[in-house]
Amino acid sequence: MNLQKIIVVAEDEMFNGSKSKYLLTVGGIFIFLSWMMIHYSNSIISLLPFMNNINAPHYLILYIVVLILGPLMTLIASYDFICNEIQTGSIRYIISKIDRTSFILGKFLALSSVFTVAVFIVAVIGSLYNLFIFNNAFELGKLILFVVISSLYLNCFISGFLFISTLSPENKTALIMSGVFLGILIFALFKGNDNFLKYLTPYFYGISNIGLFSGSTHKFEFIELFKNIFFMIIYNSVFLSLTSIAIKRRDL
Amino acid sequence: MERGDIYGFLGQNGAGKTTTIKLLSGLLIPSDGKIIIDCMDMGNESENIKKIIGLVPQDSDFYDNRSALSHMQYYGRLKDLNKKDATEQSITLLNKVGLKDAMHENIGHFSHGMKKRLGIAQALLKEPKILILDEPTNGLDPVGIKQIRELLNEYNKRDMTIFISSHNLLELQGICNRVGIINDGKIIAEDKIENIRHLESNGVITIGIYNLNPKIINIIRNLKFVVKTELKSENVIDVFVNSKKDVKPEINKLIVENNGHVFKLIENSLSLEDAFINATKMH
Repeated sequence: MNLQKIIVVAEDEMFNGSKSKYLLTVGGIFIFLSWMMIHYSNSIISLLPFMNNINAPHYLILYIVVLILGPLMTLIASYDFICNEIQTGSIRYIISKIDRTSFILGKFLALSSVFTVAVFIVAVIGSLYNLFIFNNAFELGKLILFVVISSLYLNCFISGFLFISTLSPENKTALIMSGVFLGILIFALFKGNDNFLKYLTPYFYGISNIGLFSGSTHKFEFIELFKNIFFMIIYNSVFLSLTSIAIKRRDL
Repeated sequence: MERGDIYGFLGQNGAGKTTTIKLLSGLLIPSDGKIIIDCMDMGNESENIKKIIGLVPQDSDFYDNRSALSHMQYYGRLKDLNKKDATEQSITLLNKVGLKDAMHENIGHFSHGMKKRLGIAQALLKEPKILILDEPTNGLDPVGIKQIRELLNEYNKRDMTIFISSHNLLELQGICNRVGIINDGKIIAEDKIENIRHLESNGVITIGIYNLNPKIINIIRNLKFVVKTELKSENVIDVFVNSKKDVKPEINKLIVENNGHVFKLIENSLSLEDAFINATKMH
């Protein structure tokens, strides 16, 4: 593993790579849709009466957007990130120069950076709306927590989709497998109330943090927050390790 | 392989040429055995090995929506060059492989031959100690082949060791000093190019005899250095011999002693193609 080469791969993937425009477009769409939601948040609040009791519910709305829309956007951005390179053979030019783990981490860093920046922009837009349109106080703590938790949550999906992309022989298969993977996660979340299955889904950790943005921060246990962050980091690490093992076993 | 060799790697389809190249370049991890390159074990020091090799893989594509220069800059940076050096080396190499005028064009507009030349250029970035080429001239026109051959010779003179896998036996014959023949995953013959031609017989002697008859054919066939004979026409026979000395006078004397009237006696050394066919037949 070589940090310098990881950065070279990530930088190239974001700004010059074959999918950089596509990746930035997906990030842009994510920001646009989130902005739409915050822009029409008053209408959404009026449709959901329980939100009237929440102080500054706009972060909650944005967080729900990240919870629901985020996994779909990461799927669209990352499903063919590895398998496309394997399918065309372009990976051979890269792997003959760097180790496989650096390649995977470079790809992950590119996707993660794009979505972290997107989440940050969304959080800033939300803060500006909160401050100037809805005349609420600026809450730096919430902004930071929103960015950290949302990006970690999205990273869980990115690492999962990268793993699937590494296993898939071609782009179509990767798309189908990623869709099925997302379906299984949703199924596990809803069917896993009383068993361990829910702990295997990033959705569980994402939803567990919703209390932070529901306006009742003082009621939310911060130990729970750190536990969730810890598990999301573990989740990421496990999938990245699996991806690294999978690519090492693949005939390129 | 010795340092400074241009090593030709021959084998039929499915013999294991590309697999060997993948193993040598780290694209495939061996399930068993060791790969030692420049006293380094691929299992422990693959990153250091990758620093000294340049690979031209077979059937690999580039990103269609990027220019040749952008590709080269990216690969250069992966080879630890800074942006400035990567750009300078890229332009020089693209110039050498004849892609100077097309360096800003998207690869999507490139022909197969142009992509091959770009593949060779990227492998030469940072001047590796060892260059590995898998079917490098497939799809190249004669001018392109000549250009690549000259380029390889130029780099070989600068002490670069070159490993070429190819189906094009004539091409290897013209450029390599050592040849290995692989069949069914095993090296069945390996030697200097002039020696490898003598795997089964060191040559074919074509003999023309006016009164060629079964008795003379039998006498020739029974000579201890004759591997086999092939009747080419009513009066002409090909004799495959395996001997390091010149056996033509001995054969001629024997035919004359048996009342044969020789009108032609020519020795042809085996081409690499014949040697290759013979070697794979033997295994």
